[in-house]
Amino acid sequence: MTKMIFKRLLLLVFVVFGVTLITFILSNIIPGDPASMMAGQRANQETLEQVREQLGLDQPILTQYANYMQGLLTGDLGTSIRTQKPVLDDLIIFFPATLELAILAFFIAIIIGIPLGILAAVKKNTFWDHASRIFTISGISTPVFWSGLLVIFIFYGVLGWFPANGRIEMQVNPPTHVTGLYLLDSLLSGDWVAFQSSLRHILLPAIVLSFAQLAIITRQVRASMLEVLEKEYFRTAIANGINGPYLLIKYGLRNALIPTITVIGVSFGALLGGAVVTETVFGWPGMGKYVVDSIAYLDFPAMMGFTVFISIGYVLINLIVDLSYYVLNPQIKE
Amino acid sequence: MEVQTQTEVQQAPFVKRSALLYKLKKNKLTMVGAVILGVIILAALFAPLLTPYNPNVIDAANKFQGPSWAHWFGTDEVGRDIFTRILYGARLSLGLAIVAIVIAAIVGLMIGTVSGYFGGYIDQIIMRTMDMILAFPTLILAMALAAALGPSIQNAMIAIAFVKIPVYVRLARSETLSLRESLFVKSAQTFGIHPFRIIRKHIMPNSVSPVIIQGTLDVGDAILLIATLGFLGLGAQPPAPEWGAMISIGWKYLLDFWWYPTFPCLFLFLSAGALNLMGDGIRDVLDPRSSR
Repeated sequence: MTKMIFKRLLLLVFVVFGVTLITFILSNIIPGDPASMMAGQRANQETLEQVREQLGLDQPILTQYANYMQGLLTGDLGTSIRTQKPVLDDLIIFFPATLELAILAFFIAIIIGIPLGILAAVKKNTFWDHASRIFTISGISTPVFWSGLLVIFIFYGVLGWFPANGRIEMQVNPPTHVTGLYLLDSLLSGDWVAFQSSLRHILLPAIVLSFAQLAIITRQVRASMLEVLEKEYFRTAIANGINGPYLLIKYGLRNALIPTITVIGVSFGALLGGAVVTETVFGWPGMGKYVVDSIAYLDFPAMMGFTVFISIGYVLINLIVDLSYYVLNPQIKE
Repeated sequence: MEVQTQTEVQQAPFVKRSALLYKLKKNKLTMVGAVILGVIILAALFAPLLTPYNPNVIDAANKFQGPSWAHWFGTDEVGRDIFTRILYGARLSLGLAIVAIVIAAIVGLMIGTVSGYFGGYIDQIIMRTMDMILAFPTLILAMALAAALGPSIQNAMIAIAFVKIPVYVRLARSETLSLRESLFVKSAQTFGIHPFRIIRKHIMPNSVSPVIIQGTLDVGDAILLIATLGFLGLGAQPPAPEWGAMISIGWKYLLDFWWYPTFPCLFLFLSAGALNLMGDGIRDVLDPRSSR
């Protein structure tokens, strides 16, 4: 197990190194000039040169890359061209909003996806199975921005039940900062008004974001449950008179869970990608919206910082997923 | 006896293929997918016959018209017919998705066969590089690439092709590993045929079918990726009638002129859904375990 953790952490180094290298090389052929973007349109040649020097853009690409990697090792991701602040500081400000959204979406996907998958497997080839199949196919075929727009149109435009922008009402003070997760913070400080307001704001984007992952989980649970249902030990359990939820969960789900967890880990990447679009559609002030806004400004340090941040997070999540195998199945040793 | 055996062997692929088609036809949802996709492709090909409008001509007097007989899906903020733009956009969205996947599949096939055939250090380096690319969320890598290359429809296509390559490399490599040990490759080696010729003549043709199948499964995903990049402003740029780019402008008008973003979204959903239904059917037939 220690060997595996070590191997994964080594891969992490390679991922960060490789991803930054690829993006860096490609950015060298970028058509726009970040320096002129920063200096403004009326800047003269002298100012442009100054800004270029300040950003290190006058140096050869390899030197630029070496400088960037050097900074990265000390936690310095450069300065954002758009906000003029250190990228790391920006990301730390926006990170909790994305984390909160992702966690809630993840739980929605699991809480609905697993029972739905079991239902589809147990009631194979019936109405329930077909309905779940259509549901999952639409889950993976619906672009996040469409489900987002539909939900905004219905629940905000027509019904007016939920707000469609931001994390909390303008008039409501955000809860005292503890974790940066509004739901958790407002509960911790007993701020009921803030809790209600942030719950109303997070619900729609979280549901939209969970949709794709929900589909993937349902599909996988169905497939692995079908396999388990035909196993000898399962039939023996039935023959012994075990039935109901106990049978399905203890004998069925527990054994169907290992392949499902792998898929959950992989689909977390889709969740992170979806977060970028969801945040844009719902004006959610997270890292995704930050990076999309940065793209428009050719804010390269910000884009790089986001990419590095996400790649580290993604590899770590998959490490956690692999570690959970040991908890679920004590037979797996190495 | 011998003659009989030979005919059996020759017939086998034919029987297999028709059985595959038969099974696919029996799967109703797969056929629904095929029909929807067929209609969209035909409509895209015959767009000039189906609509009297030009997708790019501005007609300010007719802006934001709701759906009517003259404009089935309404008009946009400068009076262009949305139905027309969707049909012409299908050429862009479907065409680019297919091209991106074809590029990824060809490059992946080449890298994968070479990696699997030679093994050793080459294989290690290539496969660890692929692991690295795979260890990254697809959309975010595509975004980073498209942004770094500069927002345009060709660059979005290149970005998508790039992020899809590792899947095909892995597939082609695993096929090559077993082909490498087969008799016809061994005998070719005995004759001293150049390794690249063996790869080109013997390995590639025999490992191409799983790659093609994976490709059909991936096109739906590529359509969504292209549209998502377009939506984020990293793909096709206005006034190109690409679906994602149309939606990225249209969604701001959603509450007042619902038809503007809704119809491009609907077509995006239909084509990706149709492709996923077909992919599901193909997977069911080829891997009986998943359909039980």
